[in-house]
Amino acid sequence: MLLIHCPHCREDREEEEFSYSGEAHIVRPVEPEALSDKEWGDYLFFRKNPRGIHHEMWYHGIGCRRYFYATRNTLSYEILETYMVGEKPQVIAAIDVAIDAHRDTPRGTL
Amino acid sequence: MSNKLSSIKVESPLQYFHRRTSHQSQVAAVNGTELFNGDAEFALVVKEAPICTHLNLRGDGRDDGFSAGVSEVLGIPLPTEPGHYHCNHEHSLYWLGPDEWMLVSQAGALTLEAALRQRLTGHISIVDLSGGQTLINMRGSNTAVQTMLKKSSVYDFAGWPSAQTDKGCCVQTTFAKATAVVSNKSDGSFDLIIRRSFADYIARWLLDAGQEFGCRIEG
Amino acid sequence: MNQVNRLSAVEGTRTRIDGTVPINFTFNGKQLQGVAGDTLASALLANGVKVVGRSFKYSRPRGIVGHGAEEPNAIMQIGSGAATVPNLKATQVELYEGLEAASVNGWPSVNFDLMSISGWFGRLMPPGFYYKTFMYPAKLWMTYEHFIRKAAGLGSTPVQSDPDSYDKLNQHCDVLVVGAGPAGLVAAREAARAGARVIVADEQNEFGGSLLASTQTIDGQLAVDWVADLVAELNGFDNVQTLPRSTVFGYYDHNFLGILERRTDHLGISAAAGSRQRMHRVRAKQVILAAGAFERPLVFAHNDIPGVMQASSVSTYVNRYGVAPGSRLVLFTTNDNAYQTAIDWHRAGRQVVAIVDSRSQPKGDIVAAVKGLGIEVMAGHGVIEAQGGKRVKRALVARLNAQGADIVGPVETLACDLIACSGGWSPAIHLSSHTGAKPVWDDSIVGFRPGKSKQQERSVGACAGTYALSGCLDDGARAGAEAAKLAGHGDGKLYFPSAAVEEYKEQPQQALFLVPHSKKTSRAPSQFVDMQLDVSASGIELAVREGFESVEHIKRYTAMGFGTDQGKLGNINGMAILANALGQSIPETGTTIFRPSYTPTTFGAIAGRDIGELFDPERYTAMHRWHAEQGAEFEDVGQWKRPWYFPHVGESMHQAVNRECLAVRKSVGILDASTLGKIDIQGPDAAEFITRMYTNSYLKLALGKCRYGVMLKEDGMIFDDGVCACLGDNHYLMFTTTGGAAGVLAWLELWQQTEWPHLNVYFTSVTDHWTTATITGPNARKVLAKVCGDIELANDEFKFMDWRDGTVAGVAARIFRISFTGELTYEINVPAHYGRHIWEALIAAGEEFGITPYGTETMHVLRAEKGFIIVGQDTDGSMTPADMNMDWVVGKNKTFSFIGKRSLQRSDSVRENRKQLVGLKTIDANTVLPEGAQVVFDAKQAIPMSMQGHVTSSYYSANLGHSIALAVVKGGHSREGQIVHCPLADGRTIAAEIVSSVFYDPKGERQNVE
Repeated sequence: MLLIHCPHCREDREEEEFSYSGEAHIVRPVEPEALSDKEWGDYLFFRKNPRGIHHEMWYHGIGCRRYFYATRNTLSYEILETYMVGEKPQVIAAIDVAIDAHRDTPRGTL
Repeated sequence: MSNKLSSIKVESPLQYFHRRTSHQSQVAAVNGTELFNGDAEFALVVKEAPICTHLNLRGDGRDDGFSAGVSEVLGIPLPTEPGHYHCNHEHSLYWLGPDEWMLVSQAGALTLEAALRQRLTGHISIVDLSGGQTLINMRGSNTAVQTMLKKSSVYDFAGWPSAQTDKGCCVQTTFAKATAVVSNKSDGSFDLIIRRSFADYIARWLLDAGQEFGCRIEG
Repeated sequence: MNQVNRLSAVEGTRTRIDGTVPINFTFNGKQLQGVAGDTLASALLANGVKVVGRSFKYSRPRGIVGHGAEEPNAIMQIGSGAATVPNLKATQVELYEGLEAASVNGWPSVNFDLMSISGWFGRLMPPGFYYKTFMYPAKLWMTYEHFIRKAAGLGSTPVQSDPDSYDKLNQHCDVLVVGAGPAGLVAAREAARAGARVIVADEQNEFGGSLLASTQTIDGQLAVDWVADLVAELNGFDNVQTLPRSTVFGYYDHNFLGILERRTDHLGISAAAGSRQRMHRVRAKQVILAAGAFERPLVFAHNDIPGVMQASSVSTYVNRYGVAPGSRLVLFTTNDNAYQTAIDWHRAGRQVVAIVDSRSQPKGDIVAAVKGLGIEVMAGHGVIEAQGGKRVKRALVARLNAQGADIVGPVETLACDLIACSGGWSPAIHLSSHTGAKPVWDDSIVGFRPGKSKQQERSVGACAGTYALSGCLDDGARAGAEAAKLAGHGDGKLYFPSAAVEEYKEQPQQALFLVPHSKKTSRAPSQFVDMQLDVSASGIELAVREGFESVEHIKRYTAMGFGTDQGKLGNINGMAILANALGQSIPETGTTIFRPSYTPTTFGAIAGRDIGELFDPERYTAMHRWHAEQGAEFEDVGQWKRPWYFPHVGESMHQAVNRECLAVRKSVGILDASTLGKIDIQGPDAAEFITRMYTNSYLKLALGKCRYGVMLKEDGMIFDDGVCACLGDNHYLMFTTTGGAAGVLAWLELWQQTEWPHLNVYFTSVTDHWTTATITGPNARKVLAKVCGDIELANDEFKFMDWRDGTVAGVAARIFRISFTGELTYEINVPAHYGRHIWEALIAAGEEFGITPYGTETMHVLRAEKGFIIVGQDTDGSMTPADMNMDWVVGKNKTFSFIGKRSLQRSDSVRENRKQLVGLKTIDANTVLPEGAQVVFDAKQAIPMSMQGHVTSSYYSANLGHSIALAVVKGGHSREGQIVHCPLADGRTIAAEIVSSVFYDPKGERQNVE
């Protein structure tokens, strides 16, 4: 039973009020038709599922009905931060920092 | 038309539960649970408010024009602080989210919506939910009310400061296995706004949970 | 039997019983008497009851060993009938008038045991016995298991439903204190004084923990008096909630803890008029674990004979309950602490035969004190074997070497009837372990301490390895202040001075996990480690010889710690014996992980009030009571109760549905469609947004018009469907399926909030606001005309897929002319307060046309006749619009790539041979295919057959006079006219022809009836 800080309600609320909505920061391709089946399949189906730091979307469905992002440690279940849609996480796994440094495009885009 | 109108049957969501009661168990009586207002049987009274107007209001709370417009029409400031409501003798305006409010009012739905739409500009939404919700008040001994809330919801109501006559705290949260907008009132009681289709379930839940205190539902 | 072991008042102590209040109870059918304040265990001991059960595997007689949650032997069935409770520990059952107790182990009787006489059963059951003996043949396991269970006895669950009620409270606090012993009590007081919201829970019937049996003084007061004052002080705080009889059974994520409060168990099984037990679901900002410690038994030969007890338990029975469980005591210890038991026993006027101390030179203050009382101390000795049958008669004692590993002298015999043992203490690290903190071995306390905190918690007092009372009080107070400060209350300073305590300075204890015997372990009489499951030292060594190395594997192979006591007594000794057998240290061997629950938790409390009609919300429409009054049968659709069909008296379901179906197509029917999801959509970008969500376009949908749409997930598969209407400028109303309403709203919000926040659009659920009465059939217009005068209803005025505002029976209504039956249909929406009014008005208006209320079953038949799909029934998350033969609903020229569009071009979506929607017409017109039946092309092929599809919907159509079915069949759209077969589980194979999925009125002319 997690205790989740809703950045909109600005208080800690019980997990029952929320639903998990998958990995955050996956950017929808602007022109899906321009992608190959493989590229589109990567966008549709492939997720990081890391052991450790993970950025997630949560929906405060029984509350303010707003979505927000959370950085959660999938090992300890600790929630390290929650933040608004449109914001960047402050806590980033070392491996993601390394990958980003070698990328021209932002994370998640194709 | 007028004689036709007088024969229109109107049913509130909790209509079939008015005057239903659940009586205090012997164990609770032995334990000396305090009763309410000297009531011999019931430490907890749940009362459904008469049918009134419920409007869902959406707009940008950071937009001064919007908040000023709402405040002008209703005569109360728009609550922009999360988890708060403002009220006067006619309207209660509850914060539901950063761009969403619930307006419960004694004014007619059509008139009120028209007044708001006339005054507000830009991207807004006003939706009449009067038929889909009902407001119920739960009052009684402090123990009974607080215990009922603890039985029914995961939210920490004990952390709220006392309400004033023109403002208080509110939250949309779980209530048993349904949901409710719960708010505190200056007289120590709590208001619940619940959805119509869940009303029977919630009424049964309240009667059951309130049994240890003696619980009566009024209309 | 009298209370032969009940003591009269002892000077310097104050028991917690009231000897003037007798309480009658039965044990295994025998009438006995205890007194107020007794536990079942103390009352049994007071009555001189020796054997309380039989062991699980060897069926050996067993007596009471402990005095709390650690008790392995005295496992009882309490009460009888519906309210009977199995597997309670007698040490935790408070005595009440009329209590009925029976041993769970010991069929047919504890004193005459079949299994023990027959012998073979006990001698031939080494560890892993079940696996080795009963694994094969596998199909006989159920038979074996039944026999083993019956013989071993695990109590019996009641067969009637539980007459008691249980409930739950959601609690929030700043500081939760687990355990109300000395450390917990002072911690709670400091935290409370600092202003924190405090909950203190303790599993015992009263607060005080070990102090309830202590002869120590605190601030010059008897310990029990000091406790009483402190508890009164705590109860005086508004911000403190005290929960006695409350076990904190689990510590979960983010400082969430479960507490089981036993509210009426002590009043008697049938006394529960309120809730019998209450589950507290606590979210605590800070937690203080002050759960105490368990005394560690000593493992020697036949240490399971009744009369071998824990030293602290003997003291507890004497001091707290006024019971001396024997006459002649031999105390066997490895430490100073247990000497107090000899003093207590001596003070009670009973004989201490000797203190057998494994240490070669015990020299603590308390040793001198004991010697001053004239008690003999046999230093450097050990009890190597207990002898006796159903009661200890002798202790065999021998000199041990300095390590306690070998016998170095002759064996002496001490006559006695009670052997009190103390191998030191093991901190109760269970809750700390629940958080994932890894226990740390500490040689200085010869035990595991709680590991580094993973959550906002700290352990204090005995459960942190601090055993001296003064240390417990100091640690507790500091922890209370610190926890309060971290929760935002106070500055961490102490408000109360530390209490003055008189205590003996203790000398180091000796680590002794297995007492040597004259014979080697494998040959010696059993030296029990886990009494409840009969795990012996030789069993653990055998497991190691058989190749097991991991402590977790040994645990499962030997079943050590698997009993209802969860190995609270035996685990440490077992792990140490394992470590020794493996030739490694205890830290290298490690410990098993404790998991919730700390003690067994009743299912009733876990369920709470979410049972019966409150199990899940029943959602009602505004017409629900009308339906019920008409005798409707209801169907669950999500949480909604929907009328299924309306049987007339004497009608079967089949007859009722046929009648309803015919009535709709012949004249007019009425359906409660209020449960459909409805979402109000407003904003300048509403049309653009809706167009992105549906497969077709809404950019040009005019005011007053509706359009049917299908919604896909991004993978291109159908997710929901419904009609969307344009209500005004930038204002739309979207209908969803009944079950999909919440999911669709969350889906819309997801895309708007996270992907396209620049699109200005708001969504609001209006499902509950509108009540919908659907009238359908050739006479629908005539019915509506009778109650609605302000809408022009003519076919060319109010067209199919139009909506109008008007007045129906005096109520402002919104009417949609859409159709799910293929007939002329008006869906009349009014605010729900008027729902029943409008319904009754329509019924009255339709009377002359024989208006027929119908339910979901008829709705399903009628739409299937038309080949209309139901999302979730005919689709299963793997169907594209093309699969459903609904290409017409996919907008090919939309400017924006709607959700799921790209996936419709994936190679898998366009491959041949996808399952496609078809109609099936059985060759025998009256045979109705079962839904879910598999479709094959060749009925004569060998099993397993090649499955080519399955039936999704199937009914008998009274209108058509034959059965109809919808199915998805591989390549079905090009197979019309082919015969397929449905092999059923009962051996029949039903042949059917693939036909168009539209069975009735294929041109769609009927909804245009004039």
